[in-house]
Amino acid sequence: MEYLASNKIAIIDLATRDIIEEELEDDLVLEKIGGVGITKSLYDRFADENPIVLGTGLLTGSLVPGSALSVITAKSPSTGRVSHVPLTLDAGMELKYSGFDYMVIKGAADKPVYLWVHDGIADLNDAEDLWGKDVWAATDRIRDLMGDDLIQVLGIGEAGEKGSDLAQISINYWQSGDRMGFGSLFGKKRLKLIAIRGMGLLEIAEPEEFVEHCAGLLSALKSGKTSGMKGIATMAAAMGEADIEGWLKPLTHKHMACFNTPVPTNTFVFLDEDPALLKETSVAEPGFLLTDISPLLTLKRLGLTAADTCRILKACAKYGMDGAAVAELSEKTGLKDPEAIKGSLPNLKGPVSSSGNAVFSPWAAVGNQEPKTWMRREAVAYIFGLHPIFALMAPELTEEKLLEISSLGTELELTSETLDEVIADITG
Amino acid sequence: MGLKIDVLTCTACMACELACGYHRDDAFALLSSCIMPYRAKEKKNYVGLILKEEDSLVAARPEGLEINRIGEEQDPGKEADASAKPMLLREACDLCEDVDDGPLCIKFCPVNAISME
Repeated sequence: MEYLASNKIAIIDLATRDIIEEELEDDLVLEKIGGVGITKSLYDRFADENPIVLGTGLLTGSLVPGSALSVITAKSPSTGRVSHVPLTLDAGMELKYSGFDYMVIKGAADKPVYLWVHDGIADLNDAEDLWGKDVWAATDRIRDLMGDDLIQVLGIGEAGEKGSDLAQISINYWQSGDRMGFGSLFGKKRLKLIAIRGMGLLEIAEPEEFVEHCAGLLSALKSGKTSGMKGIATMAAAMGEADIEGWLKPLTHKHMACFNTPVPTNTFVFLDEDPALLKETSVAEPGFLLTDISPLLTLKRLGLTAADTCRILKACAKYGMDGAAVAELSEKTGLKDPEAIKGSLPNLKGPVSSSGNAVFSPWAAVGNQEPKTWMRREAVAYIFGLHPIFALMAPELTEEKLLEISSLGTELELTSETLDEVIADITG
Repeated sequence: MGLKIDVLTCTACMACELACGYHRDDAFALLSSCIMPYRAKEKKNYVGLILKEEDSLVAARPEGLEINRIGEEQDPGKEADASAKPMLLREACDLCEDVDDGPLCIKFCPVNAISME
């Protein structure tokens, strides 16, 4: 695969520490397009070895608006289904530029390891000094070790190390869209984290036409209904929970976007600093980046303050546990005391409904969409590498336009029939 | 004439950085961009934009603009900024002089945080 790709798949065996590289063949792209189409195919190929498959979308990391997404495919310990979770913020893009398009991680290490992916090189290293650290401390440690604060870290905390089905794979310090308990898979494989740095280059088959189409899409989006939308409360408002914006406002520092995503879907709150502060704070950990609307809605419904809610979610993030699951279980048991909720994390167990009943993480939710429409839109997002929340909000990103841009970018003829087949295969 | 940056509007999405990289390389890459969001203080959510111009390195910080003349001695009491070093090695902003409708960073900023002054 010459264009929009690094042309490399890594097969990593944690048990033997062997790492094999394969080419990303054009034929595989013509058949499965990319993203979840290929991660699912790789999962099926290595299904007997309980793989975790990371992959980039065909358009991830490009100038197509919303091209933030990479994906993890594995069997969910929560649901027992082969499922897909999103990698957003800057992590999806970073993987695209790391020199690998897809990575299959199979087997289990006999002692803690971490995977360091950069410049087309994947290395397994001992992680005994990282094991036992919470998500924030582990992220700090690996960045200090490598001397680079822009390294993106997919890691687990104590929840994953202990094999909790509610454990998440975090992105840097923050909660991810992993509602499937994939953190426990890392723990069982003794894989503490994957550190990713991307400094590669992606060639484009027809660069001028490709970029003009991207500019046209952005122009349409800027005059569309998503224009001016910002912050996590945007999604809440679409669910009929408009008052959450006022609830969060006293804490809101700034709304932050995932890579090349026109709507900033994340909100940074300051908990131990004045949210109006413009200059750099001297407080080391002043707040928290809100990335998931669901636990906010649940904990607010329990009567908690915005500050207490955000502190609970910060504790979940450090522990490496899915905040949506914690909120759901707190609601079920009637637990309303913030300290008690935080104290409950080590012994918390499912089952939970926050994993949803689809193959895609229910993390991406905007309003109350019809399930079939939601599933189709998520499949498109996960194949092409679009932010799965933004894809729901932006009808301008049509399937026809994405196929046209993909063909311009790759010189491969990708058709709507192929897309239909890939979606049918993924969604079963 | 140069770029004007409204860093309080910027959402650090990196579209400007990628567009600039495309201008340099005719491909998608980030290493040659002369404009980039400052993302190194993630836990503090301290975000700005750095721009390399012909004679200066512009740091658009939330609290105000800082312009450092390239080659001039910096305040020794001031902490060095690690992100400044790779930027200094890159080509300066040419305002995308070969592009008909102006700088690509302006064209691809989804929130209109960059404009011409």
